[in-house]
Amino acid sequence: MKVKNPVQYFKDKKAASDAYKQQVAEDERVRKEWEEKNARWATEENEENKILIVKHLKKYFPVAKNFFGKPTRFLRAVDDVSLAIERGHTMGIVGESGCGKTTMGRTILRLHSVTGGEVKFDGKDVGSLSHKELRAIRPEMQIIFQDPYSSLSPRMPVGEIIGEAVRAHGLVSKKDYRDYVIGVMKECGLQPHYFDRYPHEFSGGQRQRICIARALALQPKFVVCDEPVSALDVSIQAQIINLLEDLQRERNLTYMFISHDLSVVEHISDELGVMYLGSMVESGDRKKIFSNPMHPYTQALFSAVPVPDPNVKMNRIILKGDIPSPANPPRGCKFHTRCSKCMDICKEFPPVYREYEPGHRVACHLYPQD
Amino acid sequence: MSEQENKTTEAKDENKPNFLKKAVNSVKGKISGSKKDTSHFLTGKEARRIAKESFQQSRYYEKKKKRKNVSPDEYITEMKDDKNIVEFDNLHTYFFTDTGVVKAVNGVTFSIPQGSTVGVVGESGCGKSVTSLSLMQLVQAPQGQVIDGSSIRFKSTDYVLDEHKERIPIYEYEMNEDGSYKLDENGEKICVMEPKLDKKGRVVKDSEGNPEMQPKQLRDQNGIPQFETEEKVYDVAKMPTEHMRKIRGREITMIFQEPMTSLNPIFTIGYQLDEVVLLHVPGATKETAKNRTYEMLKLVGIIPENVYKRYPHELSGGMRQRVMIAMALACRPKLIIADEPTTALDVTIQAQILELLRDIKNKINGSIMLITHDLGVIAEMADFVVVMYAGRIIETGTVDEIFNNPMHPYTVGLQKSKPVVNRPVDRLYSIPGNVPNPINMPNYCYFKDRCNRCIEKCKGPYPDMIQVSPTHKVACHLYSDMAKEENK
Repeated sequence: MKVKNPVQYFKDKKAASDAYKQQVAEDERVRKEWEEKNARWATEENEENKILIVKHLKKYFPVAKNFFGKPTRFLRAVDDVSLAIERGHTMGIVGESGCGKTTMGRTILRLHSVTGGEVKFDGKDVGSLSHKELRAIRPEMQIIFQDPYSSLSPRMPVGEIIGEAVRAHGLVSKKDYRDYVIGVMKECGLQPHYFDRYPHEFSGGQRQRICIARALALQPKFVVCDEPVSALDVSIQAQIINLLEDLQRERNLTYMFISHDLSVVEHISDELGVMYLGSMVESGDRKKIFSNPMHPYTQALFSAVPVPDPNVKMNRIILKGDIPSPANPPRGCKFHTRCSKCMDICKEFPPVYREYEPGHRVACHLYPQD
Repeated sequence: MSEQENKTTEAKDENKPNFLKKAVNSVKGKISGSKKDTSHFLTGKEARRIAKESFQQSRYYEKKKKRKNVSPDEYITEMKDDKNIVEFDNLHTYFFTDTGVVKAVNGVTFSIPQGSTVGVVGESGCGKSVTSLSLMQLVQAPQGQVIDGSSIRFKSTDYVLDEHKERIPIYEYEMNEDGSYKLDENGEKICVMEPKLDKKGRVVKDSEGNPEMQPKQLRDQNGIPQFETEEKVYDVAKMPTEHMRKIRGREITMIFQEPMTSLNPIFTIGYQLDEVVLLHVPGATKETAKNRTYEMLKLVGIIPENVYKRYPHELSGGMRQRVMIAMALACRPKLIIADEPTTALDVTIQAQILELLRDIKNKINGSIMLITHDLGVIAEMADFVVVMYAGRIIETGTVDEIFNNPMHPYTVGLQKSKPVVNRPVDRLYSIPGNVPNPINMPNYCYFKDRCNRCIEKCKGPYPDMIQVSPTHKVACHLYSDMAKEENK
């Protein structure tokens, strides 16, 4: 490249960088204001019944670093999410792919480190626990992964897969080990003679049962189910959902059920959270949300689900375009690029996530902000 | 050995580790001279025999497909019903594997009427994809083969050839103002003439310096010349691959499940779309192909300038699926096979794509064969539904019949096992068990072991298709009485 006028060139460059810095500072200011406002609306939860309380949880991944290795730009995978789950209840989390559902589930279990905010599990702050303390509470919170084909080690027999963690945590004596594992297997609908078999000998549904048995062998109180049925056939899906429900009833488990399938989430959950690009846009009681979806995204999502009944003619809200990249989210309300009810303020300032009915929270400018 | 001794040895055995127990048992078996139990594995001899047989079979079918200079009379047939565009008649597609023959599609008979959407539903591994691949002759060869005796009739449009085996162009004729053709003194239509151009676009002149004239060929809005066509019915099952290449991609096209993997990552979107047109449309040049590509991209709701020079990885999943649809439409096919077009997409994007497919079907006046496992998608899109299980059709009918009056226990179970939004149930109905092993299928009804409405008759042979209403058929012994009554 040939520069005709070096002085002008550097002046232009300086102006551009100043403008960018100003933009960043402005964004930062808006963000801070928004966070303050959000914090004002955070209601104090009744902590007695809740097993998990998440307040303003953030998980940022660095995408660009400067010369000294300090991250300069972040991908905000989970951006200020607050929720609380009651003991023995199921919280369903829905959203499109890439909206941060899985990252949130993993951050709550501290499989990712916490960037900001607070995760309180059974009174303990998971984010600030030391390695040793964390290990002590790990058996109480477990996860079931999405793909039963890649989450089981092909070199381990089923008994070992299920029992490895039991042995590592020293839950039962060596003598009772085998009986204990077989007991868990029976509970999850696996026959005892599968103990010495390998995962490749099983179908998808059976593998998912192995995954469930692996999670439940540690007697957890809280299980994150990360799309446990989306890789399975319809008839097998129903089996697994029924199994999860039965186990919940027997053991008084608490689930966080992450899925993109609305009909499954509606069936299994008591509360529902709708996520979009790392933020929670609506949450609350399942019945309330399904009967009265307030956020335009929730409305569009519900109307997009195909109904297996040819007589029902839905009037669809079809969203235009795709979900924006979380590395470069739009300014203001993240949904404004696809929203049919977009206003001027949506492009400038992000909405506050506040309660409108008891237990029903929405983040949208259509409703009063103060 | 006395009883006491037996007990003591058993007690000793229990203390031993597992692998020792097995070794001891096998030694015991050898000493007592009992025959080995071979029911749960294949002996080497048996395995070699099966592999050899499979190899011979697949080689026979491969040779048949690769024949050259086959006269078209061999595979030209006629449709049973002229309204149909495709008729599957007793289709068998087997996979000859080293462990046995997998009957992936085992006697499938159904048809796709012109201008309609036929939905094929079933669990994974039930043969719905293989059925469509058989129609495209894209079954994984050499193992997968369409067996003799099955036929797939497809109504295709083909170019009319003259005695020199060249296509007959359609010319533009001079018109009167009232829309009728101008006639010369012999009563024949007069062609519009245009100057002849050479390859570089210059006007060819004769010896006297006047431009050489030629009749003007009819062109579509993209500038692609038109040729005379006629309708022919082919039997795809008997067709050699050589000929199939001319139909595949032009008359029948396919939209695959994974838009991520079915686009080539090293070529631009524009190149890949142009290629289709250049390959299949005679007379297309780079310029006209690009025009056609732009038209198709506009049709699927993409601004062509934005994506023409981009690579697939720069697009999102929904956009890629749109590009795939544009590619499928590029040659104006009569039949589009959509193999799980929305499974890899989100709900909101799925709604967009389904809307687009429905829209396009009306615009191009084609038929769609929609393969999916989502009953909701079927209910929305399809006119006719085919329910498959373990390689066979168990129920067919119109959408209303299948959803409002499902008859086969499997169809009923499938519908009950899927939760529906705003229709809460306490506990989901679940079909027990799994799909049977595809090798060595039982000779009774395949669904018997999972069925909750089994009757005495179910132990008998596989049930025939029973006609319940003019469009509704079901393969279940529960309804065999109905058929008999009708016959009386």
